[in-house]
Amino acid sequence: MQSFSKYISGIFTSLRSLLKGMGVTWKEFWTKKVTMEYPENRETLVISDRWRSELIMPHDENNEHACTACGICMMNCPNGTIKVISASIETEEGKKKKILDKHIWDYGSCTYCNLCVITCPSNAIIFNNDFEGAVFDRNKLVHQLNKPGSKLRDKKK
Amino acid sequence: MNYKQPLELNGLLLQLDLFLRGNLPPFWASLIEGLLILIAVLAAYAVIALILIYAERKVTAFFQARLGPNRVGKYGFIQSIADMIKILIKEIIHINRVDRFLFYAAPFFVICASVMAFGAIPFGQGLQAVDFNIGIVYVLAVSSLGIIGVLLAGWSSNNKYSMIGAMRSGAQFISYELSAAFALMTIVVMTGTMQLSEIVENQRYAWNIFNGHIPAIVAFVIYLISGHAETNRAPFDLPEAEGELTAGYHTEYSGMQFGFYYLAEYLNMFIIAAIATTVFLGGWMPIQIKGMDAFNQIMWYIPSYVWFIGKTAVLVFISLWVRWSFPRLRIDLLLNLEWKYLLPINLVNILIMVLIVLAGWTLTDLFPILFGN
Amino acid sequence: MLEQIIFSILAIAIALFSVLAVTSKRIIRSAIYLLFVLLATAGLFLMLNYHFLFAVQVTVYAGGIMVLFIMAIFLTHKPGKIVERRTNLKIISSILLSGGGLILCGYIILRNVTRVYNYLKINEINMQDIGRAMMGTEKYQFLLPFEAISLLLLACIIGAIMIARKEKNIETNDNKDLDHK
Repeated sequence: MQSFSKYISGIFTSLRSLLKGMGVTWKEFWTKKVTMEYPENRETLVISDRWRSELIMPHDENNEHACTACGICMMNCPNGTIKVISASIETEEGKKKKILDKHIWDYGSCTYCNLCVITCPSNAIIFNNDFEGAVFDRNKLVHQLNKPGSKLRDKKK
Repeated sequence: MNYKQPLELNGLLLQLDLFLRGNLPPFWASLIEGLLILIAVLAAYAVIALILIYAERKVTAFFQARLGPNRVGKYGFIQSIADMIKILIKEIIHINRVDRFLFYAAPFFVICASVMAFGAIPFGQGLQAVDFNIGIVYVLAVSSLGIIGVLLAGWSSNNKYSMIGAMRSGAQFISYELSAAFALMTIVVMTGTMQLSEIVENQRYAWNIFNGHIPAIVAFVIYLISGHAETNRAPFDLPEAEGELTAGYHTEYSGMQFGFYYLAEYLNMFIIAAIATTVFLGGWMPIQIKGMDAFNQIMWYIPSYVWFIGKTAVLVFISLWVRWSFPRLRIDLLLNLEWKYLLPINLVNILIMVLIVLAGWTLTDLFPILFGN
Repeated sequence: MLEQIIFSILAIAIALFSVLAVTSKRIIRSAIYLLFVLLATAGLFLMLNYHFLFAVQVTVYAGGIMVLFIMAIFLTHKPGKIVERRTNLKIISSILLSGGGLILCGYIILRNVTRVYNYLKINEINMQDIGRAMMGTEKYQFLLPFEAISLLLLACIIGAIMIARKEKNIETNDNKDLDHK
């Protein structure tokens, strides 16, 4: 008899718990949807600052950068993504000086490990978070980071 | 009482019938009518499947706080058409060392059973392809054929996953078939007829679920549960439990052969909902209140097929809701639920229904002024 | 015309598949051919407007018994195995037996076919009439055989449960015996 009443009450408790579960999903049905519709929400899209996508070399308004062409980033790069091509010029004092000719970074083989940015002694390069890097030609993935005609910023005295 | 029904299709169909019979010899007339009905049923089958697939994806997404398909067409309306085109042009991969004949025959069993049951559904006034005297038994009979396709698919695929899935599906279907049939029989006890069109007519003022109050509601719930289990959908989707069996009995199928299983699964869901609507919720009959002719007239302006589709859509939504609420059952719990709970409750329920009918405690007997036909 | 075309299709299907069901070397194929035979028979019932028997044929034979057959075949050892041919003596004796059965059934059918056919042709048999005939106690009503058969089935079910249980008991007894020894 006791097992019978247990059987009956079991039916009702289980029905109640099932309805409770359905209540939870019912609330979920009407919650605000978390989906972000990407191309439409470009303006409001928030990308975390820590997001690393494209390596850039910041230039100031005088078209000057901070890269001394030391090549540390190239040495630290684990898979040869960065090529620093330097040139030597003669300064006014007649001294030979190494300056940056081309800083080349390959988007296609970068693993975004951030070692180049960490090790750069003059903080010349950073990763930005402009993630839309898709192009139709692999050659376009090879970026030259220093802008044409740019030069080394003079150290503040 | 005759109400105006401007949007009904049965007048049009009658005209077509008269036209064909008047201009053709009877053999060709019935042949052409048969073909037209076949085309109409198959077209409705495909269209409903497409709509259901879209609805399922959208509702699923909403239950998971997503938006669902929204790229192909406005709100993703064309998504399922795109899916259909994709599945139609996909390659059918021929599997080595399968039992050829059975492997290719299996999907047809599933789809034929589903189409045959689909034909018996009264979609609206005069919109029923076959209206047998034994309507409910016919639906139960032909839908029980589908399981053979599943079993054959599992066996002929020459694959352990398929085999285990098919065995599970067989055990599950045979068990839950009983409950579904008993739940419908409970209502047959009350209505005294098995003909679907008559069952609908009898529910003019009181739906069966209200007419038979307690036992009818119990039968309704049991029918929904066992019908849901028969369609192999979560939480009863052990036959295709993707975590353990990859895809169960249709693991080896590809292209349109898989498409047949896919279609049949959705259509079985629709058929279960449609039969539940017809038997419990008044079918295509609009909501009517005895004596209030103006109200009834307004209700009749909405065509009967819209009523039918609306009621069925609610039940399909409940099916999806259940699907996304509960986790998958273990096989022994699944069989426990059927043999230890649903079946005994059902047997007691049918007895209570007999007593209620004999004692005259149905609503139509208690309040003939309000609900009597 | 239409009826005759459908009838001949069904008849050919029945004849063909029943021969195939016997001659097929794979047991699962035999089962499927048998299923086709049963379905075609159901089609014959449908053609006669005898819907109740059609539904019963499909539910009980095709949907019920054949599914159980197939499940049972699955559970046996190597269901796809090709069966060896029987000896000549067995073939001859089974041919004789089935021929005898054919003659007996054919005699009964020939004697009764017109009567039953006319009876069926009159109109569709109402479901309520069948129900009353099965549950009534008067002449040509079948409550007693109905109940007798259901009792038989109940006995079968209980027997099956008993057989299933006994094995367990024997096992435990054996274990006890072993323990004693």
